[in-house]
Amino acid sequence: MIKIENIVKQFNNLKAVNDVSLEIKKGEIVCLIGPSGSGKSTVLRCINGLEKPESGHIYVNDQLLDEKDSENYKKLRGLMGFVFQHFNLFPNMTVLENLTLAPIQVMKKSKEEAEQIACQYLERVGLLDKKNEYPNKLSGGQKQRVAIARSLCMSPEIMLFDEPTSALDPEMVIEVLEVMQELANEGMTMVVVTHEMGFARTVANRVIFLEDGKIVEENNAEEFFKHPKTQRAQDFLNKVMH
Amino acid sequence: MFTAFWDILTIDNLIYLFKGAMVSLSMAALSLFIGLIFGILGASAKISKNRLLRILGNIYVEVIRGTPMLLQIMLIFNVVPIIVTQITGEVFRMNYFLIGVVAMSINSGAYTTELIRSGINGIDKGQWEACETLGLSRWQTMRLVILPQAFKRIVPPLISEFITLIKDSSLVSIIGLVELLNSAKVLGNQYYEFMSPYCLAGVYYLVMTLTISYIAKKIERKLAVSD
Repeated sequence: MIKIENIVKQFNNLKAVNDVSLEIKKGEIVCLIGPSGSGKSTVLRCINGLEKPESGHIYVNDQLLDEKDSENYKKLRGLMGFVFQHFNLFPNMTVLENLTLAPIQVMKKSKEEAEQIACQYLERVGLLDKKNEYPNKLSGGQKQRVAIARSLCMSPEIMLFDEPTSALDPEMVIEVLEVMQELANEGMTMVVVTHEMGFARTVANRVIFLEDGKIVEENNAEEFFKHPKTQRAQDFLNKVMH
Repeated sequence: MFTAFWDILTIDNLIYLFKGAMVSLSMAALSLFIGLIFGILGASAKISKNRLLRILGNIYVEVIRGTPMLLQIMLIFNVVPIIVTQITGEVFRMNYFLIGVVAMSINSGAYTTELIRSGINGIDKGQWEACETLGLSRWQTMRLVILPQAFKRIVPPLISEFITLIKDSSLVSIIGLVELLNSAKVLGNQYYEFMSPYCLAGVYYLVMTLTISYIAKKIERKLAVSD
């Protein structure tokens, strides 16, 4: 479903991503883990086109993600939902307006239809009663659940999560992970950059461990956490698992 | 000296000054409005993806902010009629009020450009990215997400700009427009006493500026509530 070939992304001479290739199949849940600065978020942002890699290719559904082919580029990016660490809800709109903005503006849905779909997703993330609130009245966990619902309203085939729980108070983490777990159970293809090792272990099919912009180890979740092959992965797991 | 003050303080003279104040106020208000349009254009140029537009926007802002407004007024007063006469072949005399409005609008536009630009740039990059991932175009993002948020940041400094314009409108007196400052001068000439009319003009200016800054504070408080 997604195929990345040899992407390189540089920030001021620093190679944030250095020759990374990977493939994600339909229905697969892949967690990208690694120390901060390892380039995992940058890989995720490249997949979606938020960052433009200096070299390498990204394929979505076997089609090249190419900015120059703007029609196709838009279509392919539309297949992917993106959830940010800092939610990025629109503070000038209510929860419902946050959810219906893109369906109305981009998919040209009627307001009624967009609202109906939005309410369905709000119900799924357990926040239907907050639909007329403004984001500043919500807790961090609620904001992130709204952000997930907002992405889902565009009916993506792939969901990309960029450290979705890193900005949350510890007691809020679980409610967001539960929503993600549910999505996973429904067969959504997911790529998750996370520091939640418990989530990676139980939900992910595959774990990719990055360091210094390179893939160091790649394995199914069970194997990776039980028997990490590389020394660097072992060191990392020793530090983060208590 | 004080007899002179009571001589000058007649209803007629107060009305005369009031008319001058209205000229100043309407010139400032018009310039603020036209300057706002220039500012929107300037800010659009400065944040555009087109390099030439960015350069033009920068030149506009830097040249206007880097030269005195008095010079700009004199230039427009002297140069524009010459150019128009050259083109049309007819002697062209511009209305003083119009010259004031043109000069002040161009001047205010440069400052407003920066106000709007920094208001827009002050919005978190994540807002743009969220819109990008949802498939919104740059223009849709600007119109529906960025500008409504930037607006709140732009309004308070825009009101200060209005106050600045009211005060700076006195500069247009140099070309002979009878606005508030010149009205006071006319009265001074009439009574051979300048302190009283100038002090009165000061009071008129204060009434205008303080009223506006009072309203500004109210608006600011209102905007802050919905944050």
